[in-house]
Amino acid sequence: MLAFVVSATTLVYAVPRVLVRPRGLSCVAVGSVTCKGSLGYRVPTMIRVVDLTKRFGPTIAVDKVSFEIGRGEVVGFLGPNGAGKTTTIRVLTGYHPATSGLAEVAGFDVQKHSLDVRKHIGYLPQEVPIYPDLRVVEYLRYRAELKGVRGKERKLAVSRAMSKAGIEDVQRKLVGQVSHGYRQRVGLADALVANPPILVLDEPTSGLDPNQRRRIKQVVRELAAEHTVLFSSHILGEVQDVSSRVIVIHRGTIRADGEPDQLVQQSTRALLSVTARCAGALLREIVAVLPGVVVETIAITADEPEGGMASLSCHVEPGADPTLALGARLQAAAVAVQELKLELPTLEEYFYSITDGLDHRAEQAEQAEQAEDPEPQMAAVGDPAADAPMNEDPQLPKGAQ
Amino acid sequence: MRGAVTTLKKELLSYAVSPVSWIIAFLFYLIRGSEVSNLVYYFATFRADVNQFPAATYGVNSTFNMVLLVPGIVTMRCFAEERRSGSIETLMTAPLRDSEVVIGKWLAATVFFGLLWLPSVVLLHLMEYPDYFNADIAFGPVFSAYLGMFLLSGFLLAFGCFASSLTDNVLLAAIVTILFSGAMVNGRSILMQALGDWRDNYYARELLAKMDVQGNFSNWFARGLIDTSQVAFYLGGIGFFLFLTWTSLTSRRLA
Repeated sequence: MLAFVVSATTLVYAVPRVLVRPRGLSCVAVGSVTCKGSLGYRVPTMIRVVDLTKRFGPTIAVDKVSFEIGRGEVVGFLGPNGAGKTTTIRVLTGYHPATSGLAEVAGFDVQKHSLDVRKHIGYLPQEVPIYPDLRVVEYLRYRAELKGVRGKERKLAVSRAMSKAGIEDVQRKLVGQVSHGYRQRVGLADALVANPPILVLDEPTSGLDPNQRRRIKQVVRELAAEHTVLFSSHILGEVQDVSSRVIVIHRGTIRADGEPDQLVQQSTRALLSVTARCAGALLREIVAVLPGVVVETIAITADEPEGGMASLSCHVEPGADPTLALGARLQAAAVAVQELKLELPTLEEYFYSITDGLDHRAEQAEQAEQAEDPEPQMAAVGDPAADAPMNEDPQLPKGAQ
Repeated sequence: MRGAVTTLKKELLSYAVSPVSWIIAFLFYLIRGSEVSNLVYYFATFRADVNQFPAATYGVNSTFNMVLLVPGIVTMRCFAEERRSGSIETLMTAPLRDSEVVIGKWLAATVFFGLLWLPSVVLLHLMEYPDYFNADIAFGPVFSAYLGMFLLSGFLLAFGCFASSLTDNVLLAAIVTILFSGAMVNGRSILMQALGDWRDNYYARELLAKMDVQGNFSNWFARGLIDTSQVAFYLGGIGFFLFLTWTSLTSRRLA
């Protein structure tokens, strides 16, 4: 009787879940939706994320994130530690469920067709966790078989993946005995072994020495020809090196999305500095009328009436280049120029300006507002909005990491 | 079930290269070899009925020590180690169903457990040699005894998989499974006392009867009697705990 009850309970719960489980590669066409790729023309969308939100209890790790990645793109997923990169990636790989929103990979809904999504993804997690008691080649054969690579094809796939990741010389070693760099490359070979159309690499170069980093970057660049790559990192240089496009995430929200150079030039002010043989006031007068110069930022850094030299610096609007016009005006005014320099912003500066810099400015603005107008603050005691910590930007998701 | 077979092969390879497996096998064969050797000596000295030899081998201490301790040790790493090392992430993001992972790991533990028992069948066959005991062993009861052992161990290993899926602490998983195994082997008398008047209730009586692992084994399976309700109990238990293990894994995706 008891046995019957136990068996019946198991069947009642298990059978409908197995039967109802959505399956079928045929129900959704791969890349049926298109998006504008990095090169400007429309390509099939391989990853589509719409208003994706992921909460862990009261903490919002990812807040209404939306982006699309087209076939063949190599996209750098940038963000400081704890920005929500790994959480977004884990939702895309089906490891974590999304709280709300839509995530599609190769045309398959991550929530409804998780198995199909996983068939199209090669995933390298942040910490490469591999079985230390297996040999490298054994581990890769196991992973290839798990991913449905069969028979003779498996042997070829494993050797191809090992060759791409550059780990042939350690293939007979136990995974637990190879160095961290090699282990990372074994993880990369694992991601490549089934030759999936999409590669998701979560900080593949973390903890590697410069030579190993170089090697991984080279591999990623080579992969770009055949795969769509989502490459997460908090190291800006390497993202700039390998990615045709970057998505910047901070505190769970997307802060920027575009080509690295364009983003930097279009969104960050460059610094113009000039040293000339004239009075500081004249130099200011000449510079102030130039197009693109932010007049409020003009500062005379040196003015020596005896020597007749003056130096000035100011910010220039994103995308503007007033150097030619300035040179012409100085020449027309018969002013000898000693130095004329336009310092273009770096990705690092841009990154700071839209992540911590933005938070810092918001914090400062809030503090200034409170200092100027203390009365409403006092009146708002007991108001939950006023009780929020000062470093919480009202524009940013509360509790987002 | 492709994924289950792949997982089974990989797990068996892991058992083969794990020192823990070899230590278990060594200790088991050492203790059991010593006990069976004593039995052989006893049967030879006192000219006991050698046809009773198989039944006598089931009653030695190593049988129940194995049932008590080994499932916990064998299954402790199944999921707890994967969670601890983080390899659960690569496993759960590979294109295979969670049910295939669960079945593959449970099958591997069961096969490993079966491999530990296999030499004892060879030993029984040796008893039939004319130069040795020239025993006429009825292999029907031997088969039913091994079926009983398989069902019981499968049941305990399924529980072990479930316990291992709940934590990333391998030691905790092993201890919980050993306690459960202890309760299955010796818990009946304690439960009888604890239940008081409830022990006369039909369902309580049935449950206690099914939980009497030692009684079921010696009164039924070891005598060559197969009670289908007991088979259903163990199979249902295996299915139930594997289902719970699957639920534990799947809940990660549904949370």
